Amino acid sequence: MENDNRLQFESPSFYHRIKGMLGVDFYRLFHTPLFYIFLCIAAIIPAMVLGSTGDADGANLYDNTWLMVAANTPLYVVNNIGEYANMNMVFIFGGVMVSIFIGHDYKSGYVKQLFTTHAKKQDYMISKTVTGAFSMACMCITYLLGTIVAGLLIRADMNVNVGSLILAIISKMVMSLGWASLYTLLNIIFRRYFGISIASSFFLGTGILVIGAAAIFSNSPILNIFLYGASVYACLSSTFLTFLVCLLVSLAWSFIYNLLGTIILNRSDVY
Amino acid sequence: MNAIEIKNLSKSFRGLYAVDHLNMTVPVGAIYGFIGENGSGKSTTEKLICGHLVPSEGTIKLFDRDYTDPGVRARVGALIETTGCFPNSTIWDNLKMQAINLGLSNPDDEINRVLQIVRMDDSARIKFKECSLGMKQRIGIAMALLGEPALLILDEPINGLDAEGMRMMREILVDITKKYYCTVLISSHILGELEKIATHYGIIRQGKMIQEISAKEMENRSRVFVSLKTKDMGGAKKILDKKYSKVVESEGYLQVYDVKDTEQIVKYLLENNHPVSEIKRNKIGLEEYYIELMSKKSGD
Repeated sequence: MENDNRLQFESPSFYHRIKGMLGVDFYRLFHTPLFYIFLCIAAIIPAMVLGSTGDADGANLYDNTWLMVAANTPLYVVNNIGEYANMNMVFIFGGVMVSIFIGHDYKSGYVKQLFTTHAKKQDYMISKTVTGAFSMACMCITYLLGTIVAGLLIRADMNVNVGSLILAIISKMVMSLGWASLYTLLNIIFRRYFGISIASSFFLGTGILVIGAAAIFSNSPILNIFLYGASVYACLSSTFLTFLVCLLVSLAWSFIYNLLGTIILNRSDVY
Repeated sequence: MNAIEIKNLSKSFRGLYAVDHLNMTVPVGAIYGFIGENGSGKSTTEKLICGHLVPSEGTIKLFDRDYTDPGVRARVGALIETTGCFPNSTIWDNLKMQAINLGLSNPDDEINRVLQIVRMDDSARIKFKECSLGMKQRIGIAMALLGEPALLILDEPINGLDAEGMRMMREILVDITKKYYCTVLISSHILGELEKIATHYGIIRQGKMIQEISAKEMENRSRVFVSLKTKDMGGAKKILDKKYSKVVESEGYLQVYDVKDTEQIVKYLLENNHPVSEIKRNKIGLEEYYIELMSKKSGD
């Protein structure tokens, strides 16, 4: 009778499964030095950029502190990478971090341990996306803090429309979800090639690949339907519509990338 | 109910079958020794059961349910190739992560329980990368044991272990099946060790199951042989060849098969001027059984 009881199998609900998987990923996130290193990098970078000189006469690159967060108006086509040096850089750090995170899953064999138990492939995609998005959102905050401290230190102009600034920051944080899902998908596709995973995340994260494509459309709002465009759309003249556009774009791409990732994982072997 | 029931399972890589229409039945509560030479498809079969590989065809049922059912998967533990531990994390942290993933209500108590089973309760704070091979194998088993699995799949868990490590692993496995009513599927090349614990065997070759047999049945089928020594081994062999169907010279002994009466063979050799200096009665072990079966199949 006791033995029969031991052979009762209760199917865990989606909530139970995702709670367990998110629990592990957040436990790992908070126990890995990598996360804190990236938070520090995100804080230091704006200070370095704000303090650097942009031209030969020694003037600073930006005269207004908040330009480190976003441009005044959406600047889809940039003339130099310096114009891209704003909070969108967090998405580059996030890409590298997600790559290392997922790379460790496969390298250590942890992912096999995970899929041996009740974890479903969709749970894995969702959990990695949420964890990656959370870490990028945290980086946005340290980036903001770094910007404020650096701005105060070099006594740069602090004038800004506060409402638009807050909306821009929240919109960029919301965009983290879309970017994290893209990086998760890329790392699933290139799971056996760690170097390619990082490189692809970096190139897409920096927008280097997308900026080239953006030039075809020039400064057209049609670009807002892509992650890159929506991230740029979140600027210092943001309105509530900006936030809504970012939210919708981020959720839509997260859904698409998670779906694709789940299909790929379900159809492929785990090594 | 069977713990594992596999029908017509195949897995091919670029047209080559690693597992070829394999059938397998593992009864509940068994310690199933999975035997085969390198590349015979043991690990691939285990990976298919664990869901690491996608089958090309066939069905896998665990406890009468489809093997992808999360309910049954939650009660499967495995140690295949790697432990799945993060090298820079402590043993405790690694176990904690798995316990959280499984949604255990008292993770700390559960971790202490499995650490006790694998005799590692005093090493929880050591980093995984600092552990010896034997320790890593035991941690892998501890990971697999979290959440009281109903099925444990172990791929070569005693490889690379010293005699003491093997003894400890044997005790742990017997403990688990007795105390927790857990079915164990274990593959190993060390047949002598496997023989001490297995209740059932499955012998695989080139991806095909060539025989499934219980330990009891194997014992009944095992041929009895007598090992003996005389001064003139060659002369004695010639004499014995006349009367017995199979006489083999091996490791300094003459092995005479299917001998019903040991006394009679001593008498027979003495009558032919070959007094016996040493004699013992043996039964074919798993290793000999396996080798004989393989050589028969090669001849087919």
